[in-house]
Amino acid sequence: MRTLLAWIAGGLTSVVLTPVALADGWNMPVGVTAISRDIYSLHMIIFWICVVIGVIVFGAMFYSLFRYRHSRGAKAATFHEHTSVEVIWTAIPLLILVGMAVPATATLKNMYDTSEADLDIMVTGQQWRWRYEYLGEDVAFTSNLGTPREQINGTGEKGEYYLLEVDEPLVLPVGQKVRLLLTSDDVIHSWWVPDLAVKQDAIPGFVNENWVRIEEPGIYRGQCTELCGKDHAFMPVVVEAVKPERFDEWLAERKEAAAQEASSADREWAMDELMERGQQVYGSLCASCHQEDGQGIGNFPALAGNEAMLDDVDWHIDRVVNGVSGTAMASFRNTLSAVEIAAVVTYERNAWGNESGDSVQPSEIAERLADQGE
Amino acid sequence: MWQAIKSVLAAFLGVQKDARRREDFASNRPGTFIAAGLLVGLVFVLLVAFVAVLAAR
Repeated sequence: MRTLLAWIAGGLTSVVLTPVALADGWNMPVGVTAISRDIYSLHMIIFWICVVIGVIVFGAMFYSLFRYRHSRGAKAATFHEHTSVEVIWTAIPLLILVGMAVPATATLKNMYDTSEADLDIMVTGQQWRWRYEYLGEDVAFTSNLGTPREQINGTGEKGEYYLLEVDEPLVLPVGQKVRLLLTSDDVIHSWWVPDLAVKQDAIPGFVNENWVRIEEPGIYRGQCTELCGKDHAFMPVVVEAVKPERFDEWLAERKEAAAQEASSADREWAMDELMERGQQVYGSLCASCHQEDGQGIGNFPALAGNEAMLDDVDWHIDRVVNGVSGTAMASFRNTLSAVEIAAVVTYERNAWGNESGDSVQPSEIAERLADQGE
Repeated sequence: MWQAIKSVLAAFLGVQKDARRREDFASNRPGTFIAAGLLVGLVFVLLVAFVAVLAAR
């Protein structure tokens, strides 16, 4: 008996002392924020409490089964109650639960405290991409899946970050409190980055709040974690955490680029330029539904040889700008710049055998957007 | 009344002596137990609210 107990104790000790690093890939990540570390240690504490309870309860049960078995002539006891034992086994779980609830509540309270943020970012889920808006900074962009189509279709070798890479990551400064305001333009999405311990629903008509203060520069990856339709698996989240100085540089560059984009709407654009830019926009925003070759798929109509679209350029622009209610066709009024709308409409009217010859100028679109905005 | 409150507290915990239970059921005044139940329930709710207010500060 004594050797058996020693053996069990020895086994337990080695299990407890085995470095957690061994569990890498099985366990949740420790993460890179104070909150993520709190959550991780809560998880581990509660896990070990469960292990200890399990060992005691099942140990007592197996010991009793073995020691007092029928073949050894054990007789069942027939007493009815034992109030003090019952009080003890009711009070102990109560104390354990309260003991777990106190630190868990403290962490939850901290998670909900979005006050005094250094930076506010609006995160909008769209089928099927994320849009990030740096509030008060005039910087906004959409973050699309960066994995090439060949890898998804199985004709290319899958990369290291297959379906976990985007064209433009969310760039955040380390050491600053960043408030995330999450919402959605269409259906419910959920913004999840395990290393930041953030997993928050993005719901149309609601604004949910969360916050992060990242401690280490690096690239942190996550996914949409609320089934949101066909390309749910194709709208990953990538956060690039950089030093505050680098962040300021980046923000200045983005502002500059946004200003240039806005002013470039005034000039005349050549057909080639529009087509090149349009193909880029089409590839990142339109191709997931209307397909790379413009042939459409399922409910998503073909654009190649689409008579209604080719006959009426205003109708075409209207659909891109305002979307089509009741369908998956989103409004791109706030997602695309005038230049991008002009380019993508031009591209769609002149690609895949469409030969309208129309080139839509960004200035026309800018005017139209201004009219509609009133 | 004190007897009823003690029984209600025991019921909150989910543990009661069989002898005490028999004694309670021998009484023919259920109103006392209902009143004690409502009273202890109210105290419990206030207690939880108080803890929540403390925690939220």
